[in-house]
Amino acid sequence: MSNNFITPLDSFINYKTNTHNQCGNYSIDIKKPKEDEQYRFHFDATACIGCHCCEVACNEQNNNDAAIKWRRVGETQSGTFPAISSHFNSMSCNHCIDPECLKGCPTNSYIKFDNGIVFHDDESCIGCQYCTWNCPYEVPVFDESRGIVTKCHMCHEKLDIGQTPACVQACPSGAIQIELVNTKEWLEKDMYTQGIAPHLCDVDITKPTTRYTLNEDLNKSIQTPADDHILKANHAEWPLVFMTVLTQMSLGAFSILFLLEILNYFSLISVNITTLMYIVAFLPAALGLPLSALHLGRPILALTAMKNIKTSWLSREALALGLFTGALSASIVLSYLQSPYLLINNIFVLALGIFGIYAQAMIYRIKARPSWNKKETTHTFFTVGYIGTLFVGLCFLINETYFIASLVFSFSLILSIYQQLLFKKKELFYKNLKEEDKNFYQLNKTKKLYEGMFTKHSKIRAISLNISISLTLLVLILLVNEYFLIAGVLACLSTISAFTSEIIERSLFYKTAVAHGLAGHFFAGNQR
Amino acid sequence: MINKIKKFLGVDVQMEKFSLVDDHMFGKVAKEKAPTKWVRSTCGYCGVGCGLYIGVKNNKAVYTKGDPAHPVNMGTLCPKGLSEHEIIDSSNRYDGPMIKKEGKLVEVSWDEAFKKTSDSFKNIQKKYGKQALACISTGQLLSEEFYTLGKFMQMGLKTTNYDGNTTLCMASAVMGYKQTFGSDGPPGAYEDFSYADVIMLIGANIADNHPILKLHIQKNEQITGKKPIIIVIDPRYSKTASMADIFVPLNPRADLALMNTLAYIIIENNWIDEKFIKGKTSNYENFKSHILNNYSPEKTSEIIGIKKEDLYQIAKTYSSAKAAMSAWTMGVNHSSIGTDTVSAICNLALITGNLGRKGATALSITGQCNAMGTREVGFTSSIPGYRNFASKEDREEYAKIANVPYQDVPTKRGYSYPQIIDAINAGEIKALYIVATNPLVSYPDQIKLREAFDKLELLVVQDAFKSETTQVADIVFAAATWGEKEGTYTNSERRCNYAQKAVDPRANTKSDFHIILEFSKYFEGVNERLFPNWSEPLDAFNEWKKISAGRLCDYTGMSYSLISTLGGIQWPCNKEFPQGKTRLYDDKIDFPTKNKKAKLLELDWLPFKDKLSTRFPLILNTGRTVEQWHTRTKTKEINILNDLCPEAWIEINPFDAKKLKVKSGERLSISSLRGTVKNIIVKESQTIKSGHIFIPFHYSSQLINAVTIAEFDTKSFEPNYKQCAVQLHSVSVPSGIKYNKKELSLQLLNTVKQNQYTKKEYT
Repeated sequence: MSNNFITPLDSFINYKTNTHNQCGNYSIDIKKPKEDEQYRFHFDATACIGCHCCEVACNEQNNNDAAIKWRRVGETQSGTFPAISSHFNSMSCNHCIDPECLKGCPTNSYIKFDNGIVFHDDESCIGCQYCTWNCPYEVPVFDESRGIVTKCHMCHEKLDIGQTPACVQACPSGAIQIELVNTKEWLEKDMYTQGIAPHLCDVDITKPTTRYTLNEDLNKSIQTPADDHILKANHAEWPLVFMTVLTQMSLGAFSILFLLEILNYFSLISVNITTLMYIVAFLPAALGLPLSALHLGRPILALTAMKNIKTSWLSREALALGLFTGALSASIVLSYLQSPYLLINNIFVLALGIFGIYAQAMIYRIKARPSWNKKETTHTFFTVGYIGTLFVGLCFLINETYFIASLVFSFSLILSIYQQLLFKKKELFYKNLKEEDKNFYQLNKTKKLYEGMFTKHSKIRAISLNISISLTLLVLILLVNEYFLIAGVLACLSTISAFTSEIIERSLFYKTAVAHGLAGHFFAGNQR
Repeated sequence: MINKIKKFLGVDVQMEKFSLVDDHMFGKVAKEKAPTKWVRSTCGYCGVGCGLYIGVKNNKAVYTKGDPAHPVNMGTLCPKGLSEHEIIDSSNRYDGPMIKKEGKLVEVSWDEAFKKTSDSFKNIQKKYGKQALACISTGQLLSEEFYTLGKFMQMGLKTTNYDGNTTLCMASAVMGYKQTFGSDGPPGAYEDFSYADVIMLIGANIADNHPILKLHIQKNEQITGKKPIIIVIDPRYSKTASMADIFVPLNPRADLALMNTLAYIIIENNWIDEKFIKGKTSNYENFKSHILNNYSPEKTSEIIGIKKEDLYQIAKTYSSAKAAMSAWTMGVNHSSIGTDTVSAICNLALITGNLGRKGATALSITGQCNAMGTREVGFTSSIPGYRNFASKEDREEYAKIANVPYQDVPTKRGYSYPQIIDAINAGEIKALYIVATNPLVSYPDQIKLREAFDKLELLVVQDAFKSETTQVADIVFAAATWGEKEGTYTNSERRCNYAQKAVDPRANTKSDFHIILEFSKYFEGVNERLFPNWSEPLDAFNEWKKISAGRLCDYTGMSYSLISTLGGIQWPCNKEFPQGKTRLYDDKIDFPTKNKKAKLLELDWLPFKDKLSTRFPLILNTGRTVEQWHTRTKTKEINILNDLCPEAWIEINPFDAKKLKVKSGERLSISSLRGTVKNIIVKESQTIKSGHIFIPFHYSSQLINAVTIAEFDTKSFEPNYKQCAVQLHSVSVPSGIKYNKKELSLQLLNTVKQNQYTKKEYT
């Protein structure tokens, strides 16, 4: 021991302070979980004083920069002065029994340890951030400097050898503790009474294990989060905006080609589908899919996104749309060779495409983000294909097959009108949003974003869609009256207008998503 | 470049940074900053005085970890403490002494800085007299540094115009203790929080300001077998109020009236401790008749803003406790009747016999890390060792022990902090030497202060950090900061802690101790006379120990190594109490008054000067937040803290916000008779009553002290920061809030908020 090393004790790891709590101690006395047991956090909101020690201690322990918070302290308030209660919730990961992060992860980077800790394997993470969407507590956080997501692991390396997790050690109120929980008993009853806290989502989504001690009346009163006033647009996710719209266009284009081919096969119509048309169907997807890799923290590892077909819609989407695009390129070749196998191949392409876009929609059908989790999302993802059909229509126009072109444009028109209906439906939904809605807090913020920050965008979206519909209608009239050239020009304009409109709508789809999560802090918000 | 390629190829180039390694002291630590040594020290932020270890790697502080063996914090630290290692390498520091040349501060040698300053001091003192030089110090230094600085100012530069920023925070507690107990010195200990049946927090937002004290409250249940009843007395529902069993939302500044009224009820119902009153106090009969004549709940209920029946219940709860503890901080001290309010709290403890026992005390919680040190060793309101300037005996004793000429010891206190500012404005004081404080944010009367600064011929600022004040200085003495120097801090419970040096002072900076020692050499004979052969803080500590001998604050039994071994020592520490003393005024220590009894004082509540009017109908309350330290010189560069509270906010009741047509997140201006502050973010909250607003004082960008009133306690000179009349202005309602009569009458009485738990126990 050197001279400047004055200590009454040799090591604090095995030394117990007399706090009678886990706090203050660098070592922890806790048994290893037996079968049906796991570690969990206990948070005593009646003890917490909102001092943020746990947050700072966590970052100090894990060497995270100030912007990366594994543990955050949220605040809510209820009542009127002086009969008020304020409530703090310090939350890191709830180490859920049914973790959505794990299920959705396309690279199998989440592991639920035998001791219950939901662990994130940094090495295999590609930074797709799907877990940051899926977790209804916004626990996983994307670290841009590393290109990956990281999260609380309950200081598992410390816990394994009897050392106290940083947050637990740091709390001067003893409000954070580690406990063992019998998962069976927890799921059967206790979770519904002890696992709930104000402003948090339905426990049935992920079956979190954190036990709360609260003042009795807290869950009954209306709680106002301290960051209620903060309205922050979500990330626009541009690569995903283009990727989704483009792949959906491809499917739309291909579907109409396939339909015509079937009609042709049964000799209901006579049509000549050129190789170029397959190329037109192929190009958007071929362009869009690689684009999506740009939103990854580690684009080079994009292909590993197909690892978790078993539970991840993202893996399924990646695989299905990858195969769709591949098979579609085969269609181009077969079409060029005028092979008889084209039709059989096309059946595969269509099936893959439909499943791919369905999987793509399912990525967004998540409980953590109520504005996405609607059947309209799935519908829109398919109907956006009308832009693809407009392209196909144009091809027929150029080939001077006007009748088929009219047929295709009529089809586009129907789809785009349905798209218009979906848009109106959404507007009405937000207009009539009721406080009784289970997800009112999140949806109301989405509403404020649509109607406030993004009014202009919404207007442009509405106008451009209307223009596209009107133009397509006009094209049909002109085609009947054999004004082919003007019809061609207007069809082009309609396509451009439609594309613009859907790109705006899709970007708003991302930007206006408001996630379930922890109530925030007045200045820092929910720190996500 | 290679890293960029690696990253592109999907390699986690920072894996190393985020891995852990084993540390023999604290277990797993971050590999990137795994310390090569741990240095035991004491936190340099607030008056709680937590023990900690500074982790050092390559002469850089990389970690601060709570010392589990330290009785104050038992292994925990607050968020500021946990990130304290970051202050040392802050970009908000100077690398060496600076002199203003052509309007810009440029780095110079210490010799040049000392030479120029000493020449100017000499010239000014020659031209205008010794008293034309004043010094304002701080509660931030180590005791050894205070002692040296005080001695240097009073007997080296021979000016008595020497005071500290402690006048802005603890002075009322000092004067209150003095007039009641006969001496300064908080009688209790933190462990009283763990033993008390009733804890009454008066104007003390410990959740924001002293979070580690919660640890001692948390322990109470395990020790006593039941939860203590916590009474929080505060006009605002602070974070601390959320731990209250009884929240008493009294009117601002009504605490003195409340204490006297509680005394009335206690006397009226004979809930007093007669034996204690007889044995330990004097003046009871006068006190009793003063209280009974003037402070019946009928008379005071409206002043206090609390219903009569609630007042009875509070009085009963407090007086029926086996051990009741009262603790207060700035809500009480920051008042022009602060001194008397402190005494009123003590009165209540005295008549119920709540003093000198486990869990029974009246404890002032100090703000700064070493505010207590200045109280004991400082040379500001008293001669070191709680000696009186006016007493010949005390002066002689000091001169003898310190080996200085008797005639050099001042016979009276010089100007206090606000008087110094006035004297500068009056042209009496021409040179000001500021040490480790930042008046350009913290002083209440910013307009007068700035006028004063303009009139100075010389402003010298000694600070470790760049502050609003160093930026206007003519000369800056760049000091070392916490972790770069050694000495002792004394905390709120009289515990003297040893702070060890962990790293070398930054660049060309020096510790405050060495700055004073070196600087004194530029004044003929001063160094030899006052600091003969001094080279290290220990020399000052040893002299101070001798000075303290036989005094209430006796340090004679202490040594750096004993302090370290015990985790701090609570004075008195001498032959009788070799390991210190947990409490004062028990059967072992008498009150240091002539009759050895505490005096029950007849005290009166006074309304505040700044009258509410239709022009200024709102009461402004100022305070702090856990993330920031004082004027942010230390904390504004620490991202994890600053991100949580980057600017000041106006806490306002939604009812008032509605009148101003503003919502949370929007902006308001505030004005008073003194000044205006623009662009403060609105935080609608039910934590504050309609008619009141709260704004934290930390921020120079929203300089709230441009609005506060320059009204001072006549006994302690402490400013009345906590209440002043203001108006708010929004874009939609620029003229501000107007209340109608009905609304005003609704604001009169509050209801005490109680927990279910307390109701069951006490009704």
